Amino acid sequence: MRVLLPLTEVSDTSVFGSKAVGLGQAVRDGLPVPPGVALSGALVEAVASDDGDALALVAAAVGPLGGPLAVRSSAVDEDGAEASFAGQHLTLLNVPSAAELGTALREIWWSANSDSAITYRKRVGLFTRPSVAVVVQALLDPECAGVMFTRNPVTGADERMIEASWGLGEAVVAGLVIPDSYRVRRDGQVLERRAGLKRVAIRSLAAGGTVEEDVAAELVEKLCLDDARLVELSGLARRCEEVYGLDRDVEWAFADSTLYLLQCRGVTRVGGS
Amino acid sequence: MPGAPVDALRTVPLFANLDDEELAQVALLFKTRRFPAGETIVKEGTDAAAFFLIESGEAAVSVRGSERRSLGPGDHFGEIALIDEGVRSATITATTDLACYGLTLWEFRPLVVENGEVGWKLLQSVALKLRNAELS
Repeated sequence: MRVLLPLTEVSDTSVFGSKAVGLGQAVRDGLPVPPGVALSGALVEAVASDDGDALALVAAAVGPLGGPLAVRSSAVDEDGAEASFAGQHLTLLNVPSAAELGTALREIWWSANSDSAITYRKRVGLFTRPSVAVVVQALLDPECAGVMFTRNPVTGADERMIEASWGLGEAVVAGLVIPDSYRVRRDGQVLERRAGLKRVAIRSLAAGGTVEEDVAAELVEKLCLDDARLVELSGLARRCEEVYGLDRDVEWAFADSTLYLLQCRGVTRVGGS
Repeated sequence: MPGAPVDALRTVPLFANLDDEELAQVALLFKTRRFPAGETIVKEGTDAAAFFLIESGEAAVSVRGSERRSLGPGDHFGEIALIDEGVRSATITATTDLACYGLTLWEFRPLVVENGEVGWKLLQSVALKLRNAELS
């Protein structure tokens, strides 16, 4: 089905994949998700095949988001398979505008149809044809970003565990920095804060794509988050647990002093439990 | 323009017995794919997902770390993967920015399954390849 919808209306995982549906649910529940649209796997495939009508449909829907854009894959497969595709299917940050979307969608389609993706699929027992839906969102230009576990994944303690670094959160996710780390009680009280070593930050380039930038010397070991922001993050953790259930793995960002939720996944195994 | 150029596909031994209409059907299944210089396109020993036909640029073929030959516009690799889903027998690396047409086994198989005539012609091509291999 060649279809696209605003995130607010996305609810069918068999068409849009679990990441898109998760973000759609978050928007409907009032969580601070950047605006976006979801494209079905069939529509992504049509664009990858240079279908002009499909590309025009996407460009018209994405236009109001402006630019730059974050283009994230959302695997359409067996329930629960999405998490296992981490690192296999591509996410492209900072696609300058709707005009460059055709190339971005083609790259994402091929990431799900590459040799390494097929090898991986066979290893985990998936022999069905790959299908990859996509979420297109306005790209944030964060002051800082990172990940948060709503319960400590190492000890199982009932506390938020937060990692943060300057710029886009991919620096944390990709392990390019030693991020700041924080432990925060449910009521927002900070139990521990430890400055990391954040020598690089990933930033958007004006012409598209991202770049690793050196962080100013005075910021390398400076904490990214003050107590007020930690309280905000703890509040976001509470809202995510109310909406999705306990034990969540959250990607977040502060941009223009506003906290955004980028992704919220279940944690399959928590230490101590 | 969607798909790969039919004329270029005529040079692929696996497709040698297909007529114009059949070739046009196969051509439409291809999608373009670009690789920056230095990127590994396929890696020896990994499962193969697609066949590629080079539109522009150059690539190097190596086996067990030893460079064997270079590929350029009109060259192709991986056609047997479309049938057997086997492992890559060589590593191919883009030596310049490379533009290819790619066809995955997921897209090729339904065409063959639904069209016995195409399947028979492909079988003939594979048989010829086997016969030549026995003679060499």
